[in-house]
Parts: sequence; structure tokens; C-alpha cells
Amino acid sequence: MSNNRVSRRQFLGYTLTGVGGFMAAGMLMPMIRFAVDPILQENTAGDFILTDQAVADLSEEPVRVDFAYEQVDAWYTSEVTSSAWVYKEGDKIVALSPVCKHLGCTVNWAADPEHPTQFFCPCHAGRYEKNGQNIAGTPPLGPLDEFAVEDRNGFLAIGAVKANSLI
Amino acid sequence: MYFIGKDMDQFIQQKDYVDTAIVPLLEVDLSNEGVKRSAGASEYLQSLTALLEKQFKGRILLLPPISYAKKADRERIADELRQELEEAGFKHVFYLTTDVAWRTIDSLENIIWLPAIPIEHMDQKFRNSVMEDQLRQVLPLFTKEWTKPS
Repeated sequence: MSNNRVSRRQFLGYTLTGVGGFMAAGMLMPMIRFAVDPILQENTAGDFILTDQAVADLSEEPVRVDFAYEQVDAWYTSEVTSSAWVYKEGDKIVALSPVCKHLGCTVNWAADPEHPTQFFCPCHAGRYEKNGQNIAGTPPLGPLDEFAVEDRNGFLAIGAVKANSLI
Repeated sequence: MYFIGKDMDQFIQQKDYVDTAIVPLLEVDLSNEGVKRSAGASEYLQSLTALLEKQFKGRILLLPPISYAKKADRERIADELRQELEEAGFKHVFYLTTDVAWRTIDSLENIIWLPAIPIEHMDQKFRNSVMEDQLRQVLPLFTKEWTKPS
């Protein structure tokens, strides 16, 4: 027999504190987890999407590069295909968004026979220079957006949209 | 623009620029023999019009598919739709359909009849390229209509 004997009162006290502690922890843990969840969330905005366009095949002439990514609308996941106009300027790869800054149509390179070195929007005849600069006198009010690009083992990877940095 | 609340704000503000409506016409056939073909046509029509919307977002309003039963009176549908769209002030209206019955109805201008391609068994990549080809056939009809002197 040890010297510090546990009385019945003490024993019950310890037991109740222990069980109560577990119950409190069981309630608090999820709350804390919810509270810190935004910090643990992985940031997907900076992700690059690999395309099947080889970097070596790019030239100074813009080409259309399609890429697909998954978009989640509430509980519904769908595959969205998007595209970019990609060309080389010296060693630098430039990828421009095809979304017209007027009302969101898709612009095409050299689609207007009268302006073979410009992007052309078929909706309201908006035009852009090769670097995305909108041409005064046509409806668009801003330059085309640009995509972040990366050379990944010889293939082009396209990242997030940003404001045009060439102008 | 799609016929959704968010796009309507922009539509109301930019009404001068959005002068074209696309109306998909869709026959709903629920009989055992016809349901698969009808659903396939619906899938085809909706992916094609979605591509058109992406290309011409700023100039067209894509209406939800007008669905009707096999025995529907197409003349009546045509008249009612035409009237509503005229009142709304659309300068150009395109009707897209895979239903052969519309070929004999001449009260509507700009009916684009397309044979439905069964796309349900294609993988995503092949499907995209097929639909792109289809889109390329339809695009000139729009640009021609827009550049036509009225």
C-alpha cells in the first residue's frame, strides 16, 4: 500500500475532470480546426497548366494554344477549355488572353484581311496591336490581358491572367 | 451572353451592341425509339451554341433552348417567338435546330439547320475538335449577316 491513498471523493473528482476534459476537447477541436482552415487551404491560383505546345515551335507569329482546366461551380466540376495567343519576342514568350476587353468576345489574329498584323474582334470590329495594345477609334477600352508563362521541359505551361505588362 | 441574371445587367447597359439573338429550337421526343436521338441532339445543339456564345459573347444573346413536343405546332412557335424578339429590338435573330420539320417553315428568316452529330461517345479532345469544325461552318453565316447592308 502506498502512503498517499486516494479517497473515494478524490477518485471521483479526478475521473469527472478527465471525462469533462475529453468532452470539452471533443467540442473545441473541430471549432479550432474550422477557425484555422483558411490558413491551411492550399493556394491554387498560382498553378500552371501544361499545354501540348512545344516551346521550340513558337515563332514571332501568334498561334492559338488551347488548354483545359477543371472548374468547380459549387458541387459541379466541369472541364473548361480556354485558349491563348502565344508568340515569341526575342527569347521571351508572350501569351495573350483572347478575351476582348470590350464585351468579352474571342479575338483572332489576322482575321481582318485589311489588318493582317493585328488581333481582330469579329463582334464590333475591335482591333489590337500584336502586343495587345488596343487601337484608338475601335470599341475596346483597354489592352488584352496577359497570361503568366513557364517553359516546362520544353513545353509551354500557362498560368494566371494578369494585366498586360508589355505596354 | 447567356440568358442569366448576371449577364442581363450588362445586356441592359450595352443594348446597342448586343443586337443579335440565338434561339436553339429543340424537339423533345421521349418515346423509347426516339429518346436517345433527341437527347443526343440536345447535347450537340447546346455545346455548339455554347461555343458560339464564347466566340461572340459581346454581340449575341443566347436564349435557353426552346423545347417543344413532337406534335407541337411549329408555325405558332415561330410566330410567337418572332414577335417577341422583334418587340425586344433585336436586329438579327438566328434559329439553330437539328429538327427537320423546320426546313419546311418559311416564316422564319435565318434558320440554321444542322444534322446532329452523336458526340456522346467521343473523348473530350476529339469532341472539342469536332465541335470546333462545326463552329467554323456556322461562323461565316453570322459575319455575313452582320456585314450585309440593311
